[in-house]
Amino acid sequence: MQTKKIGTINEQKRRDTITAWLFLAPTLISFGAFVVFPVFFSAFLSFTQWDFISGISSIKFVGIRNFVKMFQDEEVINALKNTFIYTVTIVPISLCVSLVVAYMLNDKVHFKKTIRMMFFIPYISNTVALATVFKGLFRSDGPINMVLRDLGVSELPQWFSDPNLAKLPIIILAIWTGIGYQMLIYLAALQDVPTELYEAAEIDGASPLKRFLKVTIPLISPSTFYLLVVRTIAVFKLFSSVKIMSGSSSERISTTLVLEIYRAAFGEYEFGYASAMSWVLFAIILMVTLVQMWGQKKWVHY
Amino acid sequence: MRKQSRITKILATVIMLGVGILFITPLLWMISSSLKMNREVFAVEFHWIPEVIQWKNYKTVLTSKSIPMMTMFWNSFYLAVVDILGQVLFCSLAAYAFAIIPFKGKDFVFLLLLAATMIPGQATMIPKFMMFKWMGLYNTHWSLILPGWLSIGSIFLLRQFNMKIPRDLVEAARVDGASHFQIWLRIMIPLTKTALTSIAILAFINSWDNFLGPLIYLTKKELFTVSLGVNMYSAGADADRMHLVMTASTLSILPILLFFAICQKQFVEGIATSGVKG
Repeated sequence: MQTKKIGTINEQKRRDTITAWLFLAPTLISFGAFVVFPVFFSAFLSFTQWDFISGISSIKFVGIRNFVKMFQDEEVINALKNTFIYTVTIVPISLCVSLVVAYMLNDKVHFKKTIRMMFFIPYISNTVALATVFKGLFRSDGPINMVLRDLGVSELPQWFSDPNLAKLPIIILAIWTGIGYQMLIYLAALQDVPTELYEAAEIDGASPLKRFLKVTIPLISPSTFYLLVVRTIAVFKLFSSVKIMSGSSSERISTTLVLEIYRAAFGEYEFGYASAMSWVLFAIILMVTLVQMWGQKKWVHY
Repeated sequence: MRKQSRITKILATVIMLGVGILFITPLLWMISSSLKMNREVFAVEFHWIPEVIQWKNYKTVLTSKSIPMMTMFWNSFYLAVVDILGQVLFCSLAAYAFAIIPFKGKDFVFLLLLAATMIPGQATMIPKFMMFKWMGLYNTHWSLILPGWLSIGSIFLLRQFNMKIPRDLVEAARVDGASHFQIWLRIMIPLTKTALTSIAILAFINSWDNFLGPLIYLTKKELFTVSLGVNMYSAGADADRMHLVMTASTLSILPILLFFAICQKQFVEGIATSGVKG
């Protein structure tokens, strides 16, 4: 009797395990094929020189030469610099604007839903189309320059060919499209702030600004942290908008690491070198994540 | 006091409405340009309303032989649908296994997937490209469909929803002799509809927005997606035909906006609960 019971329990366990792995099978097969294998294979390739076209036999092991080359490659250094500039502009500005917008649209206005929708639309729109629109807006004879001309600017900027300006349309586009999502996250966070806290602060005589700084900001810091991580990583993966906006005229002024990987691999067929760059991208994202995980403990107030 | 706050609210509404309109001005410019003649788009005398509304731009773009937009729309559309179906099916099965079924190695597999979310897809595009070449999937839609079905973020989201379902419900069904597959199909799927809708919406947006994937894996025009079509207008000799470039851009955004207008609530909830685009 006793053993039979144990037997059925074991049988049950075994069947559960089989079912679980069956349920997981499509995911795990896909994970193996599109994540695990590519990660290891690109790690291997990063130490080789290979043009892909001439077949596997032509793979040549070159040690760390690709990595050495990378740090002497002006375009890669440029891409890293650009990414840094993109990060320190796009992330803080778009987070601040989103927070203010969310704060205003939480319950301070009429027609909340309609206005929220306006801020949300760019986020769901096709990035390639939006970048195309920006390419038109910032053309030398485009609407932005027309407005500047009407404002009396005599020397109209050449947005895409001026090295000092070429990044600006890309930065503005990234800020613009990110706001919709960040606003949503902030709205959800703001709704979770208990109203008693505001009332208590008001009774204590705190001004609206002080209430915002001392009550709202600390209480929504988990969302800020989350958005900080997500947005920083998104900036490191910037591709579509840069590819569309940096046409032949601007060459590589505004390039990013992903764009350089794309160019090295599919433009020049340097698969080994491109793989080495991929690993640098991966390492940077990993580092950002770890630093931010560590930082979370320091300044997020729950 | 009360009156003043009412005035402040009206004032705030006016300001935010103004900012909101300014916010979508680029899109308004796009739509306006899409209905103009080419010479009007960058005319020195700017008008929001075209001299004569050029509906024929839309016909031109949709019937062009050199850039077959209709085919690209169909491709993007069905790729998005296939992506949604695959994600809903495979991710919810995996989520069920993680949330409900006890088995050895669960924590390890889960942690492995969690760690892998840090690997950017762009870092693995080269081996994927080679694999597709070797497997004969290069220049087929499979190269977009197969990797699209794996979404670790969706699995996490669904797992959390599955764990909120009362255990008694599952246990009772088990006692009645239902298999895990039946429970998944009859209980989990209906009860996690909200989460599944979120995943579907996000999958749709991401699939419609995908540019790098199609750019790498597809070279045949008849396989192109809408993003590639707009890129052709944007980058090619067609860049001199700005009115048509804007028409193509407007057309590419339209389906998403329509979709959004129909299920606005699900959109907002879906995106707030699930991940970020890209």
